[in-house]
This record gives sequence, C-alpha cells and structure tokens, in this order.
Amino acid sequence: MISPRTRELGFLLPGAVIGLLGVASVASARADAVEPGPLPVAAVAVGLFVLMHLALRLRAPQADPYVLPIVGVVAAIGLVTLHRIDPALARNQVLWLAVGAAVFIGVLVLMPDHHVLERYRYLIGLSAVLLLVITMLFGTEIYGARLWITLPGGQTVQPGELAKLLLVVFLAGYLRDKRELLAVPTRRMLGVPAPPLAVLGPMLALLGAALALVVVLNDFGTALLFFGVFLAMLYVATGRAAYAGVGLALFLAGAVAVWAVVPRIQDRVDAWLRPFDDPQGRGFQLVQSLYALADGGMFGPGWGKGFLVRDDGSFVVPVLDTDFIFTAVAAELGFIGALGLLCAFILLIARGLVIAAQANDGFSKLLAVGLTTVVGLQAFIIVGGVIRLIPLTGVTLPFMSYGGSSVVVNFALIALLLLVSHRTRRPWRPTARRRRAAVPEEAPEQAGAPA
Amino acid sequence: MNRSITRLFLLLSVAFAVLALMLGYWQVVAAPSLNDRADNPQAAQRERLIDRGRIISADRVVLARSIEVRRGGQDVFVRGYPNGALAPHVVGYATPQQGNTGIEERYDRFLAGDYGTEPLLVRLRLRAARGADVRLTLDTRVQRVADQQLIGRRGAIVALEPSTGRVLAMASSPDFDLGRVGGEFARIRAEDNAPLLNRATAGLYAPGSTFKVVTTVAALESDLGYTPTSEFDDTGRLPASGRPITNFGGRVFGRHSLTEALTFSVNTTYARLGQVLGQERLGSTMEAFGFGETPAIDLPDSGTIASGRYRGRTLLPNGEQGIDVARVAIGQEQLGVTPLQMAMVAGTVANGCTLMRPHLMQTITDRGGAVVRENRPEELRQVCSAQTSAQVTQMMRNVVREGTGTAAALAGLDVAGKTGTAETETPGINNAWFIGFAPARAPRVAVAVVLESTPGTGGVEAAPIARQVMEAAIRRSS
Repeated sequence: MISPRTRELGFLLPGAVIGLLGVASVASARADAVEPGPLPVAAVAVGLFVLMHLALRLRAPQADPYVLPIVGVVAAIGLVTLHRIDPALARNQVLWLAVGAAVFIGVLVLMPDHHVLERYRYLIGLSAVLLLVITMLFGTEIYGARLWITLPGGQTVQPGELAKLLLVVFLAGYLRDKRELLAVPTRRMLGVPAPPLAVLGPMLALLGAALALVVVLNDFGTALLFFGVFLAMLYVATGRAAYAGVGLALFLAGAVAVWAVVPRIQDRVDAWLRPFDDPQGRGFQLVQSLYALADGGMFGPGWGKGFLVRDDGSFVVPVLDTDFIFTAVAAELGFIGALGLLCAFILLIARGLVIAAQANDGFSKLLAVGLTTVVGLQAFIIVGGVIRLIPLTGVTLPFMSYGGSSVVVNFALIALLLLVSHRTRRPWRPTARRRRAAVPEEAPEQAGAPA
Repeated sequence: MNRSITRLFLLLSVAFAVLALMLGYWQVVAAPSLNDRADNPQAAQRERLIDRGRIISADRVVLARSIEVRRGGQDVFVRGYPNGALAPHVVGYATPQQGNTGIEERYDRFLAGDYGTEPLLVRLRLRAARGADVRLTLDTRVQRVADQQLIGRRGAIVALEPSTGRVLAMASSPDFDLGRVGGEFARIRAEDNAPLLNRATAGLYAPGSTFKVVTTVAALESDLGYTPTSEFDDTGRLPASGRPITNFGGRVFGRHSLTEALTFSVNTTYARLGQVLGQERLGSTMEAFGFGETPAIDLPDSGTIASGRYRGRTLLPNGEQGIDVARVAIGQEQLGVTPLQMAMVAGTVANGCTLMRPHLMQTITDRGGAVVRENRPEELRQVCSAQTSAQVTQMMRNVVREGTGTAAALAGLDVAGKTGTAETETPGINNAWFIGFAPARAPRVAVAVVLESTPGTGGVEAAPIARQVMEAAIRRSS
C-alpha cells in the first residue's frame, strides 16, 4: 500500500510538467532571446511545493494526498500565465508563493489540532469584523473599490482576504454551537419555519454587514462571497434548504434595493447586461475579455501566442493579471484548456467536501465545508464575471491571480483543510508530557484510533 | 450533515457546469460573430500576423509589400511602400487601426491568403500563411507622369486602355503617404483638401462641355435624323428655364454645323439640342454610358460613386422629366460626374462605342507563380453604333485640330478630345476638364483630366496635362 504522502509526491508531477511545458511554450512563442529567467523561477516554485509536501509528511502524514497536487496544477497554470503576461509578475508571484508556503508550513507546525480554533471562535469573528472596519476607515481605493490598506512601506494588503478565512472559522464554531437550536424551528414566519430570533439575529446582522460592504467598500464580490459561504454552511449545519433559500432571497432583495439606490452599482449591472452598448466606456473590460475568449476558440493558439499584451507592454484586456487572469488562460489555451482549469477547481471542491464528509465532528465538517466553499465560490464569482455570466466583481481567482494577500491566505486555508483531513484519520492525542500536566487519569489508548 | 454536503457539491458542480456552458458559448458558438466585429483588437492582431501578398504594377514595380518585424516579442508584418506615394488611392492602406481601402480592401481575401484551399493548408501546417500577389493594370510610367502633372494642384486623372478597360493610371491630388497612415492617420485626415479622398472615383464635378460628347452621341443615335453636318443657327442667347444660356466669352456663332458646334463648344446649340432631344432620349444614352450606377471597377464600393443627375446628395434617375434639360445637355445643372466615368465615356467612343468594364487588377498569382485569378477584357454593352462612334471620333479630332482643345495635340499623332470649363460658385474660378483619346484611328489610351478651382479653361489648363499622360501611355506600348 502506497502511503498518502508518496502518492501526493507522485501527483505533484503533473503540476511541475505543466509549469515546465508552459515556460517552454512561452519561450518558443517569444523567441526574442533565450532568457534564463523562467527556469530558476519554475525551480523555486517546484521546490516550494516539495517543501510543503515534506511539511505534510512530518506534521500531517494522513492528510488527503490530492489537495496539494491540484493546487499545484492550478498554481502552475497561474504562474505560467503571469510569466507570459510579464515575466516580472511571475518572479514576484513566486516570492509570494514562498511566503504562502511559509505560512502553510507555519500553520502545520504551530497548530497541532484545528479544534483549538473552536475555543477562540468569537475572538476570531471579532477580528474579521475589525479587519473590515479598518479597511472601511483607512482603506485605499483602487479601481473604485476600497479593498486595500497601504502599509507604511507602500505595500498594499487586502484584509478582506484574511477576513474571509477568519469568518469561515467563526461560522464553523458558531454554527456548530447553535446547530440544534437552528435546526428546530420554534415557529413559522410567512409559512416558512423560522428559528428563534436570538439565533436568527446574528444571521440578519451578517446580512446587513454584507450589504454594508457592498455600499461602503463598493465590493459586491466579497459580499456575495461572504454571504454565499454563510448560506452554504448554514445549510450544511441545519440541513434546511429553506433557510438558505430565504437567506438568498433576502440577499437578492437587498442587492436589488442597493442597485436601485447606488448609481455605481447600476453602471456595473448595465455594463453586464449591455456591454456592447458602450464598448469603449463602461463595457470596455468585458467586451475586450469576450473578444479575447473568442480569439482563443476551441483549442487556442497556445501559451504566448495570443494577443494579450501590446507592443508597449500594456494589457489588451484591463487588469489581465488579477481579475481577468482566467480570460488570459482561456484566450491562449482555448475552450479545452479553460475547461481543464475549471475541472481542476471542481476536483479541489470535491476533495474538500470529501474531507468534510469524512470528518468526525461537526466543527471539522463545517470548517472543511466553509474552507472549500470559499475557494469554489470565489472561483465561480470571478470566472462568471469575466465570461459575463454574472455581473463582474473584483475578487481574485484563488492560487492564480497576481497579488500576495490572496496567495498567502489561500495557502493558510489549504493548510487548515489538510489539517482537518489528517486529524480525521489520526485524532490528536496530547503528548505524554502535556497529558500528565492536564488530565493524568485518562487512558491514552482509548482516545485515538489506530493509524 | 453528509447528505447536505453531497447536495452542496451537486450545487457547486451545476454552477461550474453553467460556467463551462457559458464559456463554450463565447469561445465556440459566438466566436465567429465576435471576431467579425470592427472594434475587435484580436482580429486586427491576427491580420498583423499575415504575410500579405505584394501589389505590383503592370511594369512590375512593387507598390506595396509586407516586411517582417519584431514587435513585443512577436514576428508581425507591416506594410512597406518601396516606391513611396505612388498611386496611394488605388493601392490603399491596410492597417489594423483604420481598416483597409483601395486594392488592399478589394482583394483583401487574396492578399491575406484567405482563398481556395489556402486556409486549410495553412491550418494543416502544409504551408506558411502567405498571401497572393496582385498585379495591377497600372503602369508606373503613366502613373508617374499623371502624379507629376497634378503636383501642387487639386484634381484627378484617369487613363485607360479603350480596347480592354485596363486602367493605366489613376491619380488624385492632393495625395498622401501610405507609410504615414499607420501612425499619423488623424493628422492626414485633418489636412486641408481631403487628401484621403480618391477624386478619380469619388470626386463629383459638373462635367461642363465634356458632357457634349454624350449629348452628341444621343443626337446622332436619335430618331431625329441628326448628322455631323446638321445645320444650326446661333443668336448667342437661348432662353432656358428663365435664365438665358450664352456662349463662352459671349460669342455669337451664326450658321454652323454640329461638328463646328462641338469643335467650338457652342452652348446655345447644345442646349437647344437638349431641349429637342428631351430628357428621355438623353437619359437613355447616359444610362448606356453607365451614368446612374456605380462603375463596375474593381475598387471597394465605399470609394466609388455613381455619376449622374443629383438633387442634393440624391441620385436621380437618368430619364426623369421635369428639369432643365438644356443645361444638362451642356453639362451643367445637377450633373455630377467622376473622372472615371468621363474616362469611360472617352474610352467607349474610342472603342467603337463598346463599353468595356474598367479594371485595375490584371492577375493574382500565388507565391509559386500560379495564376489564381485573372481579369480578362469584358464588354459591358454596345452604347451606340460603330458609325456614330466614327462620327463622334471625327468631331472630337476637330476639337483638338482646330477647336478649343489644340493644347492636347501630339506631334505626328491624331488626338481626339473635348474640353470642359465648368463654372463654380465663385465667379472666374472653374473646374477645368479634358477628355480624349489617342491615336484617333487606333486608340491606345483614353483619358479624363479634371482640375479643381482654376481660373483657366479646360483647353488651357487640362488639355496639356492630358497630352502628357497620353504621350506617356503611347510611348510605353511602342
């Protein structure tokens, strides 16, 4: 029987191959000069994944073996695409990948068991809110949305990315706590079974907060993400689709109300519904994205052979390196390639939900569901935006979009998910020393399942 | 809980399936229509990757070719013009930003290699994407003379081979440098006197007395029994639609023949002729010459305009009654014609009254030298009888021998022609015309020259230019 970790090491190979082939493809398309640049960058990226693999080998040997390889494939596609757009972007992104890997390893080393988080759920929820309030007060506006905070060094960070992780942890703890209360409706409101108001309160507060985000931060994407994740976790916690349905209806009603009041949101929706009415103005981004998609066609010209960057280095599709990175992939790898990328995301979702289903306790299940949904929903929101399925909102494509905050937080998220997976198969037992200090009378053999 | 998790997975799977469907719609289903949109930079970039074919003159001078350059790490092709601003209106430009014009647009499919089995062969990597060469009928030895004659003036020249319809020269002034279109289009467009306009095919001018050739043909072909010797009496004035028509310089000609009326361009006589013939007869002759329809030349329709009677910008039917037919007969009043149309009139008379389809493309050959397309001489219709043609030719020879067009005479050659001096809204400023062909007995070239806004007459200003162009055309083939 091959151990999960050995299996993982083998499955890391496709990501590495995709990365190297991609770099070669870009080099052959741009035969300017043979620059050694991409090879060290690729080597560092591969090395970082091997390091994360080794950390798992030591700290979470029983974790799911497929998650890290899938992330590797997605990250490889992202890095090659960034390299194709501008080699400097790929170099910077690998540095962020290194920070992400350090955080990944840090989570595994410093936190032997994720159940600790359950104890601090309110503190964690409070910090999420605090982060958002700080952004609201001190944020820097970029592209019309206030999502960034500029640090003294000029570096900008996106606290919303971290808030998203903290929110999932809080919700997992909170819903686990109030599960039974929520699941048993005490009365009916408008024919819908409703939980007691004391439990419903926080939900409505969250709804309000999410809509406030839309208005104050002009960030429809993050609001949709937060609320979507909340509904998914609420549904899994209670098993009541009606809650999620009512929540969604309330959110949509709120969104329509905001749309009716805020002109900026109306512009966004107009650009979505009728991009070709104003192809040089409001609809420009979307129209350029669609043109690039159409140019990619079924099979695409191949990495580096499409028209994404002009002679002077400017992007044909605006914000190609962040919001529209999916367009960059689809334009050069075609429908087939883009479909492959979507499959990678759905596989990641599948693995995440398998981890949730296998988990032994409610907190672990809800945590895994939340972490998985946050990645899947975020990918859906931005991909749906750039292909004009839903209004375009500026969230990052996990593991692909250029930018540090997103990468670092997403690797922390994956580390947590893998920790849940590992602890499912090998529950945490305190070491002998800690055991003696804490509960000396407990018999260690009964606490854990055999490995 | 696990049941909910399974359902959540199904929901997310459906969401991603919808993504895939929408993506497939844009990339596969809607892609062709998106690619066709004018503001699509992707389509423009694809064009930059094509090694377009060359545009070559009849005497094998390269007018346009593609040069490979590196831009932004990619090999792209840019259009080069080794002979500068030679016939820029005919060659046209091919830029991703401004689109294509002229031959570049008309034969874009061939120049871009998008014809026959080529795209398939390229797709199968059996052949590199290279466009076919278009060889024009333009002869640079004639074209250069025409260009030179127009330097510093506004106007246009068309020279064609009467027996085939081949256009030997097509010049329009002011012109522009094709090499500048890519970078300085806005500046060129803002220049005075519309240099981008091809006056030869899209400039509308009152034809003035050159139109008397058409009236003469209508008279000789009519059932009213006119001959070149038909007698007329002139009193120097002819009342028409309230305003009397007079002759140039106020001359009174007395008794004279139809031949003399053409030779000395007697307005009163031709105006009377117009009244007698009526718009219906005159209109049917105009129709036969091609007035009222866009000439069937192989240039884009957007750059070619129909000649005929205009009310404002609206083209009227040739035979429509109820207007000042006397002034139409002398080439004024509502008539707007292009130099190309008048060259066709001259060429038709020269060719025994058989109207040939004018054309600019001679052959299209692929890079291996195989002929892909060829333009053979094509008769459009018989405009009048051979006898009428001979009679009008004789009358037009008189114009050059002893009439208003003596400045077009060529030593040792018979030249047939007709001058025209169309008054503009500014008194004393005319549009000067000359149409003609040579040698009269066996014509090898027919020409139309128009000069805008000159104080001189067609005989003084335009005839010498026509002579130079005809001389160049005859020298080239002898």
